[in-house]
Formats: sequence, structure tokens, C-alpha cells
Amino acid sequence: MHKLLLIGLFISGGISLKAQYTGYAPLTDLSKFKELFSVEAQKVTSIKSDFVQEKNLSMLSEKITSQGKFWFKKDSRVRMEYTKPFTYLMIINKDKVFVKDGQKQNTISTKSNKLFQQINKITVDCVQGTVLTNPDFSTRVFENKNAYLVELSPVSKNLKEFFKTIVVIVDKKDYSVTNIEMNENSGDNTIIHFVNKEMNTNLPDALFAIN
Amino acid sequence: MRYLLLISSLIIQLGCTSAYRNLQHTTGDPNNLQRFKPVITTALYKIDVNVIGKYLSGLLLLKTMPDSSLRMVFSNEMGFKFFDFEFAPGGRFKVNYIISKMNKKPVIKTLRKDFELVLMQSLDPSTAYILKDSSLLYYVFPRSNGFYYYITNPAGDELVRMERSSKRKPVVEAIMKDYHDGIPDTIGITHKTFHFTIGLKKIVR
Repeated sequence: MHKLLLIGLFISGGISLKAQYTGYAPLTDLSKFKELFSVEAQKVTSIKSDFVQEKNLSMLSEKITSQGKFWFKKDSRVRMEYTKPFTYLMIINKDKVFVKDGQKQNTISTKSNKLFQQINKITVDCVQGTVLTNPDFSTRVFENKNAYLVELSPVSKNLKEFFKTIVVIVDKKDYSVTNIEMNENSGDNTIIHFVNKEMNTNLPDALFAIN
Repeated sequence: MRYLLLISSLIIQLGCTSAYRNLQHTTGDPNNLQRFKPVITTALYKIDVNVIGKYLSGLLLLKTMPDSSLRMVFSNEMGFKFFDFEFAPGGRFKVNYIISKMNKKPVIKTLRKDFELVLMQSLDPSTAYILKDSSLLYYVFPRSNGFYYYITNPAGDELVRMERSSKRKPVVEAIMKDYHDGIPDTIGITHKTFHFTIGLKKIVR
């Protein structure tokens, strides 16, 4: 009976794993990947990219698509500029976040807002390659021929409310992030696709300036 | 002492006087108001919220579901969902999701009433009546704790503003304008008793 249960668990585990991430197999040597990822990410000093964001509302069968431009510069500086179908600018510069929405602009210190700090850290950690050491998440890694799939499960209650998992797709070619998928408990998700990436180009500091 | 008493009684009287006291009854069909009811299959709005010095922006998606209920989802620009409300026929209301920071009875109640006023989902024309002053018509819908006023020009073909009121004075004022295919392009909600405004601008997708 015990053996039967064990076999059952093994089979169901295998099926759920396959069903969860089709085309990906679990990575066996996680420490080697962490080391490689960290080394390769160290080589990335800047990223300039376009992005397409899809918000999928499962119960409503609706998709909200937006797009814009993304810039990253070491250390911990991100600029996201939504251009369609609305305009919205967000600059993350270390522990400060600047938001411009039409005529309104606002600077938030992430130090005074823990949740904002954690969410801010996700974006920066993903593109900076330090996501695997973020203590806010437990991590599983999968791979296929072309990419790694990093699954982050929130540990803190704060983040658990927002996310079931965050799935980051990393290109094996240059260890850059191609997709960030934020899955909510309700079945809704937000996927950000990064396209037309340019790595290590010279980006002026003024892009990330917060007054 | 006599003056003090006089001033006090004047203040009390003014305070108790209804802002709608000069309106007169007039005839008309409350169903005329249906022309201003937003006809939404799906609509996406940019939303700005100002509440007691705090500013919040994002996207508000409205969608009429196959069961005729209207779903309203508010998320920020990056996709973090704040709430998912459901307005069902007959005035039924359901919170499908709300973040814990907003999950407070007064917050939900205020948002529900504000959007009920502008969405015009649960109006009962059988209890409604019409008032007028020298320049405007007031379509009045009695509610459990006050009234909804829909204020039009004398011809009844232009919605000037909407008001949610207590027994005596407006507590919320709202506008809805620039209709295209039955959907207003701009919606504004302003609270009169504390600093709380909601601004909606339709997004062309």
C-alpha cells in the first residue's frame, strides 16, 4: 500500500511538473546555475529594451496589452516608460521610485514602504541577476535547450497576497531576462516580454535621475 | 446675549436647511434618464485617485458579463490588482478581490456607492420623481439613506451633473461627458465632505 502511494505520488508529481512548464525539465545542478548566472549577470552593465506587457484577467476573458521602453543600468537603476495605450513613467534609482503620470509626479522612498521595496527589488533583481539570492522567495529552476525558467514562490505574507509565483525566463545565449510572468492566486497574470534588447550600451545617467 | 441666541438659531436653521428646498415638482418620465446610462460591453479607463493627500493611478477595466453583471477591475499600470468588484442586476454587489490594505467596510461601501451613482445600474424608476428649478431638471431616486440626483438641462438631453446626497445636502458630485457609442469618455467623482476625487479617462486600445 505504501509503495502504491509512493508510486502514485511520484507519477502525480511528474505529471504536475510537466503540466506546469511544458518543454522544460528541472535543473539538477542548481548551485552551478546560480554561480553561472551570477557570473554572467555581472558582465551586464546596462540593458536597453522595448517591452510588451500583457495583463490577463482569466475570469473576464480579457487581456490588457501595453508597451513601452525599458532601461537598466548598474547598480539598481531601472527606467520603464509606458507609451501605448497610455503614458506612464517609472524610474527606480536605488531606494527611490519616481512616478510620472500625465501632469502628476511623485517620488516614493521604498525604505518607508516595505511592499513597494519588495516589488521594486523583484524587477531590479530579475534584470541584475541577483534574483536567486532574494530571501523573499523560494526558487526552483528548469531548463530547455534555449532558456532557463526560474520559478519564484513568495515566502513573506505581504507578497503571497499579490503573487502565487513569479516566473522569469532567462536566455541561455546571454543570460538576459526575456520574460517576467507574475501569477496571481486568482489565475490572473501579468507577463512582460522584453524585445529588441541591446546589452552594455552607453546609457546616460540622466535617464535615471530623480530630483 | 439676545444677539448670541439669534445668531445661534440662525446657524442651526441654515445648517438644517436642505440644499434642495427651492426645487419644485414637475411632470416627466424618469425613464428618460436611461439615455445617459453607460452602455458598456468592455471599456478601459485610465484612473486617478486622490484621497486625503495620497495619489493613486492605474487602469480600470469595465466589462459586462454574459449574466448581465458588470465587472470592475482596478489595477496599477504594472498590473498589480487592487480590487475586482461585481455589480449585478437588482443592485446586488460582490467583492471578488480586494487587497488587504483597502479591505475595509467604509472604503468598499464608499466605492460601491460612488460607482453605483455613475453606472446607473440599480436605479428604480418606479420610485423616482422629477423636480426643477429655473434652469435645471432634477431626476430624483430615493435610496435607503438619501437620494441620487441626476441633473439635466430643461430639455433633458444633457446630463449636467449627478449628486449623491444625504437628506439635506450633496455628499458626492459626479460628471459624465463626451459619450461615444454609449460610453462616456470622461467621468469625474468628487466628495464634498472630505478630500476624495476619482478621475476616469477612456483609453483607446
